[in-house]
Amino acid sequence: MTKQIVVAVAGNPNTGKTTFVNALAGTRLRVGNWPGVTVEKKEALLRLNGKEIFLVDLPGTYSLSPYSEEEIIARDFLVKERPDVVLNVVDATHLERNLYLTLQILETGCPVVLVLNMYDEARRRGLEINLARLSALLGIPVVPTVAVKGEGLQEALQQALELAASPNPRKKVHYGEEIEGAIKEIEDWLGKNVPQIAVKYPLRWLALKLLEGDPRVLQETGLKIPEDLPLIRHLQKVHGDLSDLLIEARYGLAAGLVRQCIKEHRVEPPLSEKLDRLLLNRYLGPPLFALAMWLVFKVAFDFSAPFVDWFDGLIGATGGTLSYLLKHLSVPDWLYSLIIDGLVSGVGAVAVFLPLIFILMLVLTFLEGSGYLARVAFLVDRLFSFVGLHGKCALPLLLGFGCNVPCVYATRVLESRRDRILTVALAPFMSCGARLPVYVLFAAAFFGPRAGTVIWSLYLLGVVVALVLALVLQRTLLREEPGLFVMELPPYRMPGWRYLLVHAWEKTRHFAVKAGTYIVVISMLVWALLHLPPGQDLRHSYLGRLGAFIAPVFRPLGFAHWEAGAALVTGVLAKEMVVSTLGQIYGTEKREPSAEISFPWESWKEVIKGLPLAFVEAGKNLWASFSPVSLEAESPAPKLLEKIRQKFDPFSAYAFMVFTLLYAPCMVVLASAYAEFRSLKLLAIMVGAGLFSAYLLGILIYQIGHLF
Amino acid sequence: MKLFEVKPGMKCRVKALGPGMAALRRRLLDLGVLSGEPLLVIRKAPLGDPMEIEVKGTRITLRRDEAQKIEVEVEYD
Repeated sequence: MTKQIVVAVAGNPNTGKTTFVNALAGTRLRVGNWPGVTVEKKEALLRLNGKEIFLVDLPGTYSLSPYSEEEIIARDFLVKERPDVVLNVVDATHLERNLYLTLQILETGCPVVLVLNMYDEARRRGLEINLARLSALLGIPVVPTVAVKGEGLQEALQQALELAASPNPRKKVHYGEEIEGAIKEIEDWLGKNVPQIAVKYPLRWLALKLLEGDPRVLQETGLKIPEDLPLIRHLQKVHGDLSDLLIEARYGLAAGLVRQCIKEHRVEPPLSEKLDRLLLNRYLGPPLFALAMWLVFKVAFDFSAPFVDWFDGLIGATGGTLSYLLKHLSVPDWLYSLIIDGLVSGVGAVAVFLPLIFILMLVLTFLEGSGYLARVAFLVDRLFSFVGLHGKCALPLLLGFGCNVPCVYATRVLESRRDRILTVALAPFMSCGARLPVYVLFAAAFFGPRAGTVIWSLYLLGVVVALVLALVLQRTLLREEPGLFVMELPPYRMPGWRYLLVHAWEKTRHFAVKAGTYIVVISMLVWALLHLPPGQDLRHSYLGRLGAFIAPVFRPLGFAHWEAGAALVTGVLAKEMVVSTLGQIYGTEKREPSAEISFPWESWKEVIKGLPLAFVEAGKNLWASFSPVSLEAESPAPKLLEKIRQKFDPFSAYAFMVFTLLYAPCMVVLASAYAEFRSLKLLAIMVGAGLFSAYLLGILIYQIGHLF
Repeated sequence: MKLFEVKPGMKCRVKALGPGMAALRRRLLDLGVLSGEPLLVIRKAPLGDPMEIEVKGTRITLRRDEAQKIEVEVEYD
């Protein structure tokens, strides 16, 4: 058996590194997280010339300093895991900045292949790069590639394999006599005094980090540069901070390399700057941003709607088939109900989200890859920095108004974990589409012509609560340093379709498997509440008893009856369940007759015919639906309205709507958030803040309302 | 002069990075905002903050309080 060759892919963000990895790995790409952090980890097992290659995509970084999760992951991998070879993907059009990282990778002593990506763009811009000279000066192979077109990829991999097979001693990059002398001095000192620590690290790298005073390495090794090394003392006396000196040395070297290897340096890509003059224009930028967001919203929710319906039909047909089989096997009623009403509907609850998440991830990855997302952050950051948020959270929060679930996944665009957690914690207060039927029902029952105003007030209230919560959380539970805003505005680019599809598919799969498991389990639990003990009506089911048990808590809010309690319990499953539970309780909605004996041929026919139709429908929605489809809801049954008027008054109805808006995110959001962050603290914040604000505002509304 | 005070379209040169968070300082240095480096101020966001600058041929954005930590000298051609 041959040894597996570990190939790490490193590079700056926005260099086409992700496209490069995706093109190499194709469908064999697996996306997960680096242990203990929420940074994405992509890896793939490949074969070339009978050799097994383990490809690991390191996070995109500008440097290998110890100040961000990404940088720490990348450098720890290079220094501790010691990959057999590193493919360093660089943007050929911004070579100087990219070589700064290359030099740092070379410091780790790993064999490196320089992948000059976007080579075509560099040529178009009139850059003439002397590849042979660059390769000779750096002492490493240089391969020009165009990752989006798949050019040069195999050659890059081939070079990597050759280098891994015979890692001949490289000519090391020289930082000048002064610095090299100091490095040599520390290396000798390390070898003489602490060889047991020194062997754990690449020697030159360790020496450089000690010279820089890298806090993480100092802490990890417990080492300190002794006072009595003459060359270093001299350097410190002349230059002060040696970390600055090294950064300048690297940049000096990078600039020198560019001078020697590149001819005709023209600066800005004209098209990108022209687009920015329009899209970032003081007056045109904001309306164009609003238009773009509206389009995103449309695509994400209207385009996915027919597919959601199709999945609904598929689950319905599957359920029908299963019930047909179960009836014929004459299984006991409770088991029948558990499978059909518990398991199948739980799986159904997961399935209907799949098209939404897939399409949303497509759109989001497109925005990110095209470079517009960074512009969005630039445009709106001022609005968000006000409450301590990063401009990039605009998009996830905006999507929350459609559905809070994709919002959780959309926080991927944010860099720091703190910003991501904060955004997810605020997401549930963006009033999603599923809450609308509840508002429509209660507003129609009590507020007649003012219903519209009442509903808008709820949307606004959610936003206000979120803003307050953002301020509170930063002063209490999330007191970590906010992430840096400093970011690059990369030139606009067209992301590769293949990359978009693979990425969106991976995220959807992740949701289905990870979050899906929790969702099915919770669905079964709620089934048990609804259907046990056997043979009871709703009032005497566990759900009814639970509703009656918690009802007194709602006395100050004006709805202390078991019906409201029970409806709120099922609302955790999905907020629109509040309406259907009330419907069931008040007997206006019959439970599905469970006696479908014949095989559901018709449903299957619908499913098979439905898939192509869904595409047509989705296309139509995209082009023709210029009315706010997402806000339409069926008008409630008159009998239900009447019952509700008996049980509520206008103030308790408003308090109930506010409570439904705020009290807790639905279980799909909770499951996704937990699957993404593995943080019970986050779940506690989401549920705690929700219940607290819901209860407080509910009381205020009802009590103040009754003062007058 | 602080970087944030430089008008869009003007060139300047970094004099010093002020004291501040180690992470910010390091990130700026890693992006090429070194002392002596020429910078070009491109524009400010519609709400006046953050700002966009060009350094070493790439565009980066900074918030006001980040840009206030960079001492610069305006260059007139």
